[in-house]
Amino acid sequence: MADIDQRIPLDWDALEVGETFEKFEYTLTQEMIDEYRRGVMDPEAAFPTISHKVDVRQFNARYSDNGSVNARCAFHCYNSPVPGKKLTVTAWVADKYLRRGKNYIVTEAISVDEDGRLIDRVITHELKQPWEVGKKWDG
Amino acid sequence: MGRVAREYAEGDAVGPLVKEITQEAINLFEGSAGHSEPSQFTDEEAARETLGTSGTVASGRMSISFALELMRRHFGGDVFNKTGMVDLRFIRPVRPGDTITFSGEVTGTSREANGLKVNVKIEAQNQRGDTTGVGSGSAIVPNAYLPPEE
Repeated sequence: MADIDQRIPLDWDALEVGETFEKFEYTLTQEMIDEYRRGVMDPEAAFPTISHKVDVRQFNARYSDNGSVNARCAFHCYNSPVPGKKLTVTAWVADKYLRRGKNYIVTEAISVDEDGRLIDRVITHELKQPWEVGKKWDG
Repeated sequence: MGRVAREYAEGDAVGPLVKEITQEAINLFEGSAGHSEPSQFTDEEAARETLGTSGTVASGRMSISFALELMRRHFGGDVFNKTGMVDLRFIRPVRPGDTITFSGEVTGTSREANGLKVNVKIEAQNQRGDTTGVGSGSAIVPNAYLPPEE
């Protein structure tokens, strides 16, 4: 039997800036790090956490929408994550704005490891009309 | 350990760093976080449905990873991995088959309590010379790494 989608359809107007999502935890394994480093072709890449898209993970678990495209992203490095350590992520809606008739949502997240070390901070601006990419560049 | 002299001036070049984007690399990037569902990054049909593009694209977060590498190579991991940041706007899609060149230029420095903050302008261009991403980055070089003040 198919799972029922219990997410809330996104209402951009009703979305509250400051909404903070439930914390979530995951363990970064050496295998994840190795695969990430192969993907970015950088054997010394220190922040594989970027591929986990942790700032939008809880947002996407709570809301359903028509998808999105990353318009802007900032990443702050504090301490390289250590393989095998559990990471706890806190994410929230940092902002929303309308530009040239298009809706954007800004999510932000910080990751802390099980020893209390601050790992990184990521801030992403997502365009909520992803088909604009095809219209502009493949149209 | 002795003092390591590092000097930074406006106009200094950072990079370049060249990356050849393949579908395999995109799949590894997405797979490294357990994203196994077809997506605009890994599946042409999903890309057509979601983005309206003729094929897959690379996540903007891959470009962030490359910008982090550009900066880390310049400042060293001991500095950049503790004090660095990058902030990019994604201008054009990056697709499998593209060769992207990331480059930077120091735009200024400022004294902070714990060192010298070095600001860098960052740009990414594809093989046609089109800008795919633009933004900035910075790192704070600890006082102990800097030459003594005159």
